[in-house]
Amino acid sequence: MTKDEDKTIHWNKVSDQSSSDEESEQGNTAQLSRKKLFGEIPIRQQAFLEIVGRSEDNEVIELGEQEIIIGRGPDCRLRLPSETVSRKHARIFFRNDEYYIEDLGSTNGTYVNDIRVVKCALRKNDLIYIGGVKILFNE
Amino acid sequence: MPHIGQVNPLVTFWGTRGSISTPGRTTERYGGNTSCVTILYKNTHIILDAGTGIRNFGLDIRDELGRPESQQSLHLFLSHTHWDHIQGLPFFQPAYNKDAIITIYGSPYKEKFLASVLKGQMDKEYFPVSMTVFSADIRIREISEETIRFDDFTMLWQEQVHHPGGSVRYGLQINGKKIIYATDVELDRIFQGNSSNDEEKALARQYLEFVHNADLLIADGQFTEEEYSSKVGWGHTSIPLLLDVAYEAQVKQLAIFHHDPQHSDKFLDEFWMANRSRFHSTYEKMDIFWAREGLTLEI
Repeated sequence: MTKDEDKTIHWNKVSDQSSSDEESEQGNTAQLSRKKLFGEIPIRQQAFLEIVGRSEDNEVIELGEQEIIIGRGPDCRLRLPSETVSRKHARIFFRNDEYYIEDLGSTNGTYVNDIRVVKCALRKNDLIYIGGVKILFNE
Repeated sequence: MPHIGQVNPLVTFWGTRGSISTPGRTTERYGGNTSCVTILYKNTHIILDAGTGIRNFGLDIRDELGRPESQQSLHLFLSHTHWDHIQGLPFFQPAYNKDAIITIYGSPYKEKFLASVLKGQMDKEYFPVSMTVFSADIRIREISEETIRFDDFTMLWQEQVHHPGGSVRYGLQINGKKIIYATDVELDRIFQGNSSNDEEKALARQYLEFVHNADLLIADGQFTEEEYSSKVGWGHTSIPLLLDVAYEAQVKQLAIFHHDPQHSDKFLDEFWMANRSRFHSTYEKMDIFWAREGLTLEI
């Protein structure tokens, strides 16, 4: 950065008399999950992955709050035995009441609705492509 | 935090909506928060605009800022100071972190100094606490003609005149990649206006040079062609014109951004389906997508 100090204001050095009685307050809001809001009331997350075209009836996996790994490795919860799928290709995780998919550095990439993504919050009817396998997200 | 195996910059959309936030089921897919995009490279975060989307970004890096190895320096570039581009700032968690350093950059060509505009939105008539409650080291800079350089980044900028009050477009060069953020500008005025006007011609040439060959162009595409006809002078671009201009500039990837508040997910999906064959055949070498909240791409 080129020095141009006369055009820089260090905000904290600027006094503001009118606000002295307000300085103890916090001007931000906390993130509150539905779980916290409703205390002990269990909220069942209902979301599904539907593997399209792998069998006559599309295979359906119900998602919970546990992370699932997708890949061709034997220890993957969703195993896709294809050479175009990396051993640990992507993961789906639950955070702040939302499901996300994240690529795990795969060779051929993770796509959501034709866009190659590193990470993406998932929405109803998103179509995920992993190594030629189509997976429909629904909730 | 940098992504596993990351070698290129990561771009994340935190707010993609124009004008006003639009929460609710009808905007879940593309998002209801107003403008905010971040670029992460190594451990440095560049933030483009501070619309309501910046709040979620602040929460996302809250834990990261506490780690000793983390980069605690954040660089926020404002396109301009209309509400939908600054309203999230009072809710940006790192501003309340005494260990964070936040440098805010904005246009020098305004009637009021940038700092006083930002202070104004936290005046007690509008907001419960003033800006002095920020405990981070906040540095507010009006950008100058000199190129902005820090860490591995070079940031170029240009004024955009066709938006009420003006706006700035930014061009980030990083690791051989070029990422352009050019929102809140009415390109139709430049590219479809009076073609004999030398000033407009110069603006068109300047725009094309600035965005030429961009790896990613994040650009204002608020209106359909039909909507635009009744919104001339509002300072936003029609989608078909944006596509033509981006293609002419040989842009590789185009994120259509600053969605109109009236454009629901259904509307955008239907618009896409109706124009899909045209988009795919005409703009074969350019990837086009709706900017979508919660999406991270590697560039």
